[in-house]
Amino acid sequence: MNNSGYLLTLIHNTLGIMTPILLAATGGLFTELTGTLNIALEGLMLIGAFFSVVFAAYTGSLLAGILLGIISSMLLALIFGSISLYLKANIFISGLATNLLAGGLTIVLSFKLFGHKGVIRFEDIPALPVLEVEFLRRIPLVGDLLLGHNILVYLSWFCVLLAAVIIYRTPFGLRVRGTGLDPRTVESVGLSPAGYRMKAIIISGFTCGLAGAVLTLNLGAFVPNITSGRGWIALVAIYLGNKTPLGIFIASFVFGFAESFSNYAQGVMNIPANFILAIPYLITVLAMILYSIWRYYRAAKKEA
Amino acid sequence: MERIKTTGDPFINTIALMITLGISFLIAIVLIFVLSKEPGATIYYFFVGPFTNKYYFGNMLNSAVPLVFTGLGIAMAFKSSVFNLGGEGQVYSGALAAAVVCLALPAAGGFMGGLLGLTAAAAVGGVLAGGPGFFKMKWGTDELISSFLISGAVILVVNYFITGPLDDPANDLLATRAVAEQYRFLKVFPPSKLNISVFFALLTAGLLFFLLYYTHWGYEMRMCGLNREFSRYGGINVPAYLLMPMVLSGSLHGLAGGISILGTYYRFVKEFSFGMGWSGIAVALIARNHPLGVIPAALFFAYLEAGAKAAMIHSDVTFEIAALVQSVIFYLVTAQALYRFIQYRKRASS
Repeated sequence: MNNSGYLLTLIHNTLGIMTPILLAATGGLFTELTGTLNIALEGLMLIGAFFSVVFAAYTGSLLAGILLGIISSMLLALIFGSISLYLKANIFISGLATNLLAGGLTIVLSFKLFGHKGVIRFEDIPALPVLEVEFLRRIPLVGDLLLGHNILVYLSWFCVLLAAVIIYRTPFGLRVRGTGLDPRTVESVGLSPAGYRMKAIIISGFTCGLAGAVLTLNLGAFVPNITSGRGWIALVAIYLGNKTPLGIFIASFVFGFAESFSNYAQGVMNIPANFILAIPYLITVLAMILYSIWRYYRAAKKEA
Repeated sequence: MERIKTTGDPFINTIALMITLGISFLIAIVLIFVLSKEPGATIYYFFVGPFTNKYYFGNMLNSAVPLVFTGLGIAMAFKSSVFNLGGEGQVYSGALAAAVVCLALPAAGGFMGGLLGLTAAAAVGGVLAGGPGFFKMKWGTDELISSFLISGAVILVVNYFITGPLDDPANDLLATRAVAEQYRFLKVFPPSKLNISVFFALLTAGLLFFLLYYTHWGYEMRMCGLNREFSRYGGINVPAYLLMPMVLSGSLHGLAGGISILGTYYRFVKEFSFGMGWSGIAVALIARNHPLGVIPAALFFAYLEAGAKAAMIHSDVTFEIAALVQSVIFYLVTAQALYRFIQYRKRASS
């Protein structure tokens, strides 16, 4: 009984912890499908995190904070996309530039606005509303696992669902996938692959902005470099999830579980948190290597 | 410089680089005017600060040393059209290896101990980058992603050691004990931290320049970087040049970490090297992957950071404006140069 209680708590926490990763990965899925290596997720998320909490504090409204945070992140995505696609900069390097810019800008602005570069607490921000439905509470498991999260958690699930519908059931999604598979085909029907890449980057700005808002609004504070690698993990989740919405949901869950388990293991067991956090990276490398071995031998067989 | 030659006149490239750096300085000035209440003084310290006394000047030169190593590491990989994105982890773990070896060998002579420490650093870095190179060679696994992931895992593992078994409770930092006096590099410009590792950096850059342009090995490596299919047709052992440059790149990153410990910090401090790996990429890009070009490029990066530090100490802006200026350089330097490099990479790998 006690053990299953732990497990329920663990999974419940996982669903909260995975949210920013899931959101960033959902947007990153669009860029990945257009064949764009989007390593700027980290920076986009950080900008969203900073501006959403700052604007929420200035306006006194959570909604305004979230929206303005998303807009800031989308603006940075626009800069990143324009430089990559129209100035023809290497997308990988301009992605690094975007992360560097976000890290620097949030600290420079926090120093300018608040006079220091440490943790900035905002006491007067309302807490994110938490979903509680009385009659659902009574259903075992469902009540324990699925209720009691803040609304952004549910919004993230909706985003994944929406992404799946867009990617597989709309002309836009078809063209996004087409851009990644063969840009020349997209071009041959009179459409612009660069245009779809740009739209995908803006979408990733949207979801990363929201992901950032989850981080800071949950906490009611901005911590320097609060994203701490989640954008990179989101990128890994896209690969690990085999570039499908369901796959990234599962991969994000695995990462979230690793983190919530490490929080738990720190107190109870002797497995150091850093080791557990390293596991998802190693699993992904292993998966990548196995996949390439499989591909290699399949190709060799074909030749023979 | 092959890649650059075919993309245009070297003269035009130099001009383009000057424009990039010019714009980044302009942005620095604009930022200072926006952020500072005393822009005149801030601009003075930002641009002239590093030259105002021996301490600042020496420290600036010293902080360029690891960047020469990481820049060389990236340049050697780029030159062969392989990507090493795990620089951060390789520097970090190389530094830990050097610190651990030197802490474990209290009785060894200064020279031998230091040498062993640096060897350990280079070995650890070489293995961490060599792994992805090996997978690439064997099965075509994308080395860009795998080197990054391995580095990400390694940073966490190193953090475990430094927050746990290797932490010295006697200091307030998350850091190891300091390495013994006899292993520390000789200072050459007191009171600054500049030490003999600056000569190692110059020597390494010269050596790699020679290797790349005046040896058979270097020729084959550059050919593989330009066009793998052509190289294979010409009888070059192409797969070997997927692995070797990665090992070399990783070793150079490891060395960057090792010399930072033995020359500057004397103890391994948690997260001390964060950013060195990323900066190495920028340094290599500014240098157009030329081993000798890496030296001025690293100096330029060190100058930016030293300027920002001086401005922070003497005026009212924060150090991170350096990051903003660097990001502008990152954006622009690729806009006109690396795009072409990627074309070559594509051509080489297809």
